[in-house]
Amino acid sequence: MRHIVSIWLAVSSLLLGALIANAETRPQYGGTLHVTMHAAPLSLDPADTAVPDTFAQRSLASLLFDTLVTVDDSGHIKAALAESWQAARGNQRWTFRIRHGVKFHDGAPLTAEVAAASLRFANPSWNVSAEGDTVLIDSDAASPELPGEIALAHNAILKRDADNKVDGTGPFHVLDWQPAKRLTLAANEDCWRGRPFLDAIEIEMGKSFHDQMTALELGKAELVEVAPEQTHRFSQDGRRLASSAPLELMALVFAREVSSADEKMLREALRWSIDRGSIRNVLLQGAGQSTAGLLPSWVSGYGFVFPTEADLSKARQLRGQARTAPAWTVGYDSNDPVARLVVERITLNARDAGLTLQPSSLSASDLRLVRIPLASSDAGIALADIVDRTGLPAMKTRGGSAEDLYSTEQSLLAAERVIPLFQLPASYAASSNLRNWAVRLDGSWGLADASLENAKP
Amino acid sequence: MCTAVYNSDIPEIIRKSVNRASRSACMSLIFLAALLGGSLLSRAADWNPAEQQLARKIVAATGPGAVLVTFENRSSLGRRDSDAVKNGIRSALEQLGIRFVKAEQAAATVTISLSENPTAYVWVAQVRQGATDSTVTMVSVPRSGRSTVARDSMPISLRKTLLWSQDEPFLDLAILEENGTPTHIAVLNAEAVNLYRNQGGKWQQEQAAEISHVRPWPLDLRGRLIPGKDHVLDVYLPGVTCHSGAAGAPVTLNCRETEDPWPIAFALNSPVFPSAGSTDRPSAGGPSAAAFFAPTRNFFTGVLTPAVGKFSTVPKFYSAAFVPRDKYTLWIFAGTDGRVHMVDGMTDQASKFEWGSDMATVKTSCGAGWQVLASTAGVQPQDAVRAYEFPDRDPAGVSAAVEFPGAISALWTESRGDSAAAIVRNRETGSYEAYRLDLACSQ
Repeated sequence: MRHIVSIWLAVSSLLLGALIANAETRPQYGGTLHVTMHAAPLSLDPADTAVPDTFAQRSLASLLFDTLVTVDDSGHIKAALAESWQAARGNQRWTFRIRHGVKFHDGAPLTAEVAAASLRFANPSWNVSAEGDTVLIDSDAASPELPGEIALAHNAILKRDADNKVDGTGPFHVLDWQPAKRLTLAANEDCWRGRPFLDAIEIEMGKSFHDQMTALELGKAELVEVAPEQTHRFSQDGRRLASSAPLELMALVFAREVSSADEKMLREALRWSIDRGSIRNVLLQGAGQSTAGLLPSWVSGYGFVFPTEADLSKARQLRGQARTAPAWTVGYDSNDPVARLVVERITLNARDAGLTLQPSSLSASDLRLVRIPLASSDAGIALADIVDRTGLPAMKTRGGSAEDLYSTEQSLLAAERVIPLFQLPASYAASSNLRNWAVRLDGSWGLADASLENAKP
Repeated sequence: MCTAVYNSDIPEIIRKSVNRASRSACMSLIFLAALLGGSLLSRAADWNPAEQQLARKIVAATGPGAVLVTFENRSSLGRRDSDAVKNGIRSALEQLGIRFVKAEQAAATVTISLSENPTAYVWVAQVRQGATDSTVTMVSVPRSGRSTVARDSMPISLRKTLLWSQDEPFLDLAILEENGTPTHIAVLNAEAVNLYRNQGGKWQQEQAAEISHVRPWPLDLRGRLIPGKDHVLDVYLPGVTCHSGAAGAPVTLNCRETEDPWPIAFALNSPVFPSAGSTDRPSAGGPSAAAFFAPTRNFFTGVLTPAVGKFSTVPKFYSAAFVPRDKYTLWIFAGTDGRVHMVDGMTDQASKFEWGSDMATVKTSCGAGWQVLASTAGVQPQDAVRAYEFPDRDPAGVSAAVEFPGAISALWTESRGDSAAAIVRNRETGSYEAYRLDLACSQ
């Protein structure tokens, strides 16, 4: 994957210029980094099910918390809070040995008991226990992919007090937290990985993309988010930009399963009617990739076999075979500036095929335009997460060969519950004095090693 | 054999040694290849089983007969590898009764895409027969270890020679014995000093001496190995100093938490390093200039011992070099403020050069006799080093820049004084490499 991702990183790097590549001078300690984000999370707890999984949430989690293991840019599992790990009983028991000497931000030591409790909280169905300095995870079925799952932000190791206030071991600790508005972080001087270069990070939340850009231009922020549809214009302006590989699925998801043969044909007709190419070129300004599969090709290796081209005659033919065609309401997130435009364009495509769609910003709708960040670069884990979020029938197994996954994905798509549209990147812009940061494989910013040029050490 | 299945090393700087014996064997080969001047060859993959498997799956769909087969490479496989795979699949298909024909004669068309995902090459065959939907079949080929590619050194007066390469990060490398080529080396990482000896042309790990420390290391960890005169070596790390026992016995490191200064100029095997602030020509002897290193940071605090003339403190700096003059020594510091400070004992002149954070002094028989090797600043992803002389206060480049395949994390003068060692993370392979830099006057 190093090569695949490097293609995207290379593209990013061309735009990013000095931001990442400036390796010839040593990073400087000190300084406060100012960051803005569109999301406005009410909780910092990555295991809080009420908080949607977004790139922003992952970014925050990476600053505050650690997982037992991590996945590097090459897709390899690396040790983090666990020094080592081992499978037994045919991958039905996993043992993680906790790193010694790690402390939470409040000074309490990391123990296997605390780690086990954290994992149990995040995964109530898991059988997690602590034994000495090891955490044991047992399952009834073989779970070869478990380390990859342990690496997800959702499974970060936290210490919760009686009020469910959380504490972590990450490179920064919370100095001030105003939910959905502002978060101020300070360097964790005793971080087990080494004290970060930055002294502090101030994060402004709930900012529109336009406001974020203004903040960057005025020097009020050093790192901002860029909407995928703005990346093309942004790079043409000669600005500094970094984008991830395509890893956010934009898709139409039906609220319920197909209930009749007619309905299946109508959904199929809708699928064939959508002109992804035009939507991508015009509304998304060429960002991301059109997709008819659930996983991006760089993760599955086979995504290109699902045809993305529209076939209006096939759509009309299928529409004609159905006796009646109800008008479907299509929901979208009214806070997502491009979502309405995409839905309106799909509505026009559908009309050409004889189908009636009604855009709606209400939460209740027949189908909905959703964005699902890729959970993992492990294809099995990522597909299982998409299945979970879209209400598709649960997968029997998560592992297996590429052909097994293809077969699973093909059968999931055949249910006509989800119509994949695009795989979008996570994009960020930064000021020229922010160094040694990168867009991580999960779309979050990697700021643990970031530094500010001309900071006072 | 070169990688452990579990217990993967942690990212960043602090890494634990794993499977030392097998790694030693791997590194020995790399070292040997490097010393022999050979390029590090990428591993040849055995594609044959996967080629046969895909061919069988295709024939199961098409049956033997006339087929149009086309290929598409969507993967990172290079042309040579992808051509080899294509030929292998074609050969396997032929053996199973497939005849390759043009479109108009074909009973089926097969589009074979050489794709990939994070863990494997994925070869996908889309089989179309008649007007029916296509059948998709595929095989996965686990990716082998990353290939390593050597770069040619530039034919210029500043030469670089690959000394060592390993997958895990290391901070410094010291050559303890050499006889034309190194025969005994020490490699410093965050947790240990590993000693290797060349025996019969093969490098064997002789010993690993653990480094004890209480505090977590700072980011951008720096460290230095300095061979001793009456003992094997000294180790300098932020806030920790280790001294080894006498030569000959198994090396044990006596480490203590201390803020003792690090040598920034020393003399050992050759009398090339001056005393700080000395008005005399260089003399032989022990450490002759030292500076205090911030125990939780990546820079020197600026406090020098002994003082340089009237300056006992200079601005915080990342590295130091010097140029002996007739009546004084010009000290050069790469400041954390991005400027280069030139201190002659009386004045501190700060200038902006297009230099990076690392520099080292070498004593040669070329030019003025003393050169400063400095990494270059800029936005390029690869670092470079160039040799400079200081006719006055402005550096004059005396060599072309030598490029490295990645970022330089350390550049120290070697103990023999006429060369420097650069530690680099190779951006292509991800491995960590040590290079010797020396000047050849005749070129």
